Amino acid sequence: MRVKPFMAASAAVLMCASAAEAATVRVTVAEYSSKTGPYFEEAASAFEASNPDTDIVIEVVPWDVLLQKLTTDIAGNANADIAIIGTRWLVDFVEQGIVTPLDDYMTDEFRGRFIETFLTPSVMDEQTYGLPIAASARAMYYNVDLLNGAGVAEPPATWDQVAEAARKIADQDGEVYGYGLQGKEIETDVYYYYSLWSQGGDLLDEDGSSGLDSPEALAALELYKRLIDEGLTQPGVTAYNREDVQNLFKQGKVGMMVTAPFLSGQIAAEAPDLNYGVAPIPAGPDGDRGTYGVTDSIVLFDNSEVKDEAFAFLDFLFTREQRVKFNTNEGFLPVLKSVATDPVFADDRDLKVFAEILPTARFAPVIAGWEEIAEVTSTALQRVYLGEATPEAGLQDAAAEADAILGK
Amino acid sequence: MAAAAERIASRATAGRRARAVAPLALVLPSFLLAAFVVLWPLWDLTQLATHSVSRFGQLRGFVGLDTFLDVFADADFRAALLRTGVWTVGVVGGTLLVSLPVALVLNEDFYGRGLARVIVMLPWAVSLTMTAVVWRWALNGESGLLNSALQAAGLIDGNVVWLASAATAFPIQIVIGILVSIPFTVTVFLGGLASVPDDLYEAAALEGAGAWQRFTTITWPLLRPFVTIATVLNVIYVFNSFPIIWVLTQGGPANSTDILVTHLYKLAFRVGRMGEAAAVSLVMFAILLAFTALYVRMVLRREA
Repeated sequence: MRVKPFMAASAAVLMCASAAEAATVRVTVAEYSSKTGPYFEEAASAFEASNPDTDIVIEVVPWDVLLQKLTTDIAGNANADIAIIGTRWLVDFVEQGIVTPLDDYMTDEFRGRFIETFLTPSVMDEQTYGLPIAASARAMYYNVDLLNGAGVAEPPATWDQVAEAARKIADQDGEVYGYGLQGKEIETDVYYYYSLWSQGGDLLDEDGSSGLDSPEALAALELYKRLIDEGLTQPGVTAYNREDVQNLFKQGKVGMMVTAPFLSGQIAAEAPDLNYGVAPIPAGPDGDRGTYGVTDSIVLFDNSEVKDEAFAFLDFLFTREQRVKFNTNEGFLPVLKSVATDPVFADDRDLKVFAEILPTARFAPVIAGWEEIAEVTSTALQRVYLGEATPEAGLQDAAAEADAILGK
Repeated sequence: MAAAAERIASRATAGRRARAVAPLALVLPSFLLAAFVVLWPLWDLTQLATHSVSRFGQLRGFVGLDTFLDVFADADFRAALLRTGVWTVGVVGGTLLVSLPVALVLNEDFYGRGLARVIVMLPWAVSLTMTAVVWRWALNGESGLLNSALQAAGLIDGNVVWLASAATAFPIQIVIGILVSIPFTVTVFLGGLASVPDDLYEAAALEGAGAWQRFTTITWPLLRPFVTIATVLNVIYVFNSFPIIWVLTQGGPANSTDILVTHLYKLAFRVGRMGEAAAVSLVMFAILLAFTALYVRMVLRREA
């Protein structure tokens, strides 16, 4: 049965009003920065002001422990009504019937607010299970002074140029490194995909088995391994997580690195004198390139007893005003068309580059067990970076393990 | 008369019976509570480990011991098991070796002893996670304190990236483990030393016993029960200790510093294999139970 969402919502509101009982909507949000909690509290108060019959309760959870917290809450049947989740976890949630499709609540107007690229990752079996609350892509940050000092005028556009520029930077005096490579903790696998996609490879073959045993995947890993072996990266890459490499970049010790838009905000706050630029991720020999698109979704739990009120709050969160506030705080990319044209974002020098490369954005595959495959991949990469396995052997082992997880 | 005597007698038996039951009744609530606190999670874990489990801990079908077989067949588990042994023996052994002389020194009467005791105990008040975070900064390959200090002392030239591989990361983790276990162990030893009566030493000194002889014949035998307690408690604590390894390397790179707890955490919360995580924690429980039982038995026999 398909009920007109607004009628359903208003009926629910009427029912609540007549019962004179406020509905409580519990919201679990991930803590992106110290501004996240205050933002959501403020949004909740603003919403409550115009919806006096709904109480919004915000729980802020640090990113590192979000999945753990959700898992425990769900296992104990004590989960909130709405939660932010990593979109790559969504398929597990959907398969277990934990989250509910939102299509019955979404009007055409509501759907039309979104930039289509960011809505697609949470569509499964033609049902929309989540809304993109945060979106980000990756591009290459470069240190203008280090490049110029090495006699490189333009930011490198291909991996060959990256290697060449990195060598010239490494040859300079002082402890500076050409290319910052991540080898520890979250997104270690993703850092390798930048190279993989530029070689024309992909995470999954057409038959759905792992793409890690392809010649392109090997070429991509050999490229990184060569950078490490020739001393063009910072030493000991397996000791550096994303934040560590970003810190090196902020200290002006790294010539180039790939990371997310939020680094711009950090540089503005912590290293305002750093002379840097943002360029697309380097291309491979055939001109292929791909950036990693990431969205976090906000989902509605199937066991929620206040779905209408919960969706009304989501509707409110995805208004232009709210999204501009949120994105300005956190440095994420706009997910609403109206926000993308807002001068705050349209005129931003760094964000412009990210917006331009969005058409090449690729997302983590929407398959069950992806987290486990990412873990297997990261481990294999670390072994190769450490020299404990050859790129070929490392990738073949990882592909075999991934295929076992995929059931291929 | 006879009836009255009978009544008195029966009242006396009832009294005796009540006196026999009373202690049991008084102990029972706390006993039940303890049993509930220990047994309920154990039951829950057993359920998880013997069923096929969804990512969110919902039980599906009964699989018996299959999950355990999967766990034992996993090379990462076996490596983590072995490493847990090295970790536990290394940290506990090192702690005992360092703590004993420290406790003996602190037990001597010297100027500033109070202050010295406080300084030794102080790290205990800092959370393990915070200690590990500080060490993570100190071990930073680029701007870390350890590199600067070692370079200043002329011991190394050029930076060492300590956490990049297990060869340097794991020994350092063991050393940190030892450092943070010392305060507790020293406290236990000091307690033990305080219980040794001074007149024993005086008598021994009168008989002409040297310092080493006094240590082997008086201090050590009387201190041994405390060494036992420190060993058992430290083994349990270190075997299950999570923060140092997690904060410094998350068991990496390439799982090469994983011990059983970090392996178990990854199983449960990274890759969502709740059943296997439960099985690993039951295996850990069994190992600790066996160790404790064995050790306590050995000690009791020796003392009997």
